[in-house]
Amino acid sequence: MSEDKPVADKPEAEPAEAAETAASSSPPPPSHDGSVRTTETTATKEERSHLELSAEPKPDEPKRNGGAHGAAAAHTHDAHGHDHGLAHTMPIPLLFGVLVALLVLTIATVAVTSIDLGAQGNLIVAMAIATVKAALVCTFFMHLLWDKKFNLVLFLTSVLFLILFLSMTTADRGENQHAIDEYRALQLGVK
Amino acid sequence: MAEPSTETQAAAKAAAPPPAHVHGHDDHGHGHEAHDPIHAANPHLAHHFDTPQQQFDAGKLGIWLFLLTEVLFFAGLFCAYTVYRAMHPEVFVYAHYFLDTKLGALNTCVLLISSLTAAWAVRNAQLAEKKALMLNIVITIACAFTFMCVKYVEYSHKFHDGLLPGKAFQPKEQIWELKSFRDKHPEAAEYAEKLAKLDEKKTEPAAPGAAPGGAAAGMAEPAEAEKMERPTEEELEPLLAAGLVGPRSLDPSAHISRPRMAHVFFGIYFFMTGLHGFHVLIGIGIWVWMLLKAAKGHFGPNYFGPVDFTALYWHLVDLIWIYLFPLLYLIH
Repeated sequence: MSEDKPVADKPEAEPAEAAETAASSSPPPPSHDGSVRTTETTATKEERSHLELSAEPKPDEPKRNGGAHGAAAAHTHDAHGHDHGLAHTMPIPLLFGVLVALLVLTIATVAVTSIDLGAQGNLIVAMAIATVKAALVCTFFMHLLWDKKFNLVLFLTSVLFLILFLSMTTADRGENQHAIDEYRALQLGVK
Repeated sequence: MAEPSTETQAAAKAAAPPPAHVHGHDDHGHGHEAHDPIHAANPHLAHHFDTPQQQFDAGKLGIWLFLLTEVLFFAGLFCAYTVYRAMHPEVFVYAHYFLDTKLGALNTCVLLISSLTAAWAVRNAQLAEKKALMLNIVITIACAFTFMCVKYVEYSHKFHDGLLPGKAFQPKEQIWELKSFRDKHPEAAEYAEKLAKLDEKKTEPAAPGAAPGGAAAGMAEPAEAEKMERPTEEELEPLLAAGLVGPRSLDPSAHISRPRMAHVFFGIYFFMTGLHGFHVLIGIGIWVWMLLKAAKGHFGPNYFGPVDFTALYWHLVDLIWIYLFPLLYLIH
């Protein structure tokens, strides 16, 4: 992805583009302060790579001012929890919402052990709750909802191989258990 | 773990029409960065990357590849767990009474909270909120230490009670002495206590000096042990109902009060939680590193990759615990 690419290939970044022009008129900023100031232009880049992935609307784009007040602009912008910089920024309410959901599910999974759901029932429920929790962590805490799809595919690949590994071994064990039992019975019989 | 450095692509734009020498900067290494406005404005942008975005994306791909290997790494242990549980469900039912669900649940909550602060720290880094970033990293580290302290308490109890893998498995407390078991299956506890005397009789001729707990293996019993009175399957009904006796532990040489090969559960338990705990320790180290970088004010909108990647690793550690907790502590 060449960064020198002209802005023409950004379909929906007009407001950000304006900010960019504003920023580009200022000289290259020095050091740390500079990095903050450059926020606006960065956002446009980010915009481009995440437009398809972002589940959130970006109504506050025009709020951003170009130029020297970058830091301040960045703060107001991100208070709304929208795309920013090189990647999506998690809004604080969403962070806490996910935590609350995870804690509630933890309590639920402990509580459900006192209910008898049959030999495999409890295990299935516990694993289902754990999977919902894992999905919450992946989707929000790990930013997969806004991340490049390729990273999601990578992660799901590992899950796929985990499932293959477990299911094949389990199937193998199930098919050969009778042989194991016979062998054991034979051993004990000899004694 | 990839450690990209990055800071800005803004400056990239700042010099709107990039001069020709920008494209050639890689060839010259660090020495010529002064001539490159992107690198000049981004002290943390490594010379082999063109822009902070490129550096960030490359680092992110790297950490996800690493996490993929981590999932497969733990997959082996989850596989061992699955196979062993399928073969010997009674061992898991028996052994889980020795685990403290409250401590496990506490650790789950501690890790979840640390996951929140980790995700929040990424936000802080993106917004260059230095103080909040440092605070969130410190809370994350504090949670990690809390987790390890609780683990220490759990491990030391198990060491003390002889709940160890292999031949070291010499439980000081019998299942019927455990409050968690008595509360749930009072009748089965009585039965187990009564029937355990059979185990003692079986064990004594084999190893006269052995403690009442008996040796770990129940396989090599002398012939006379088998002549002894064995409870019938109906008599064992309460134990079967409690899940303490499984179909494969009903062979004549098995101990009744303790499933055969219960020690394997503790092998799996220590290996899984130990490897997970090791990851937590490594995580603490990396968070301390991030804290030092944060203190130096390295992070901002164009350079927060390291915090993001550390947080991703941290979330994976949390993810694994999310599965370990019900699998080890919440066996029904």
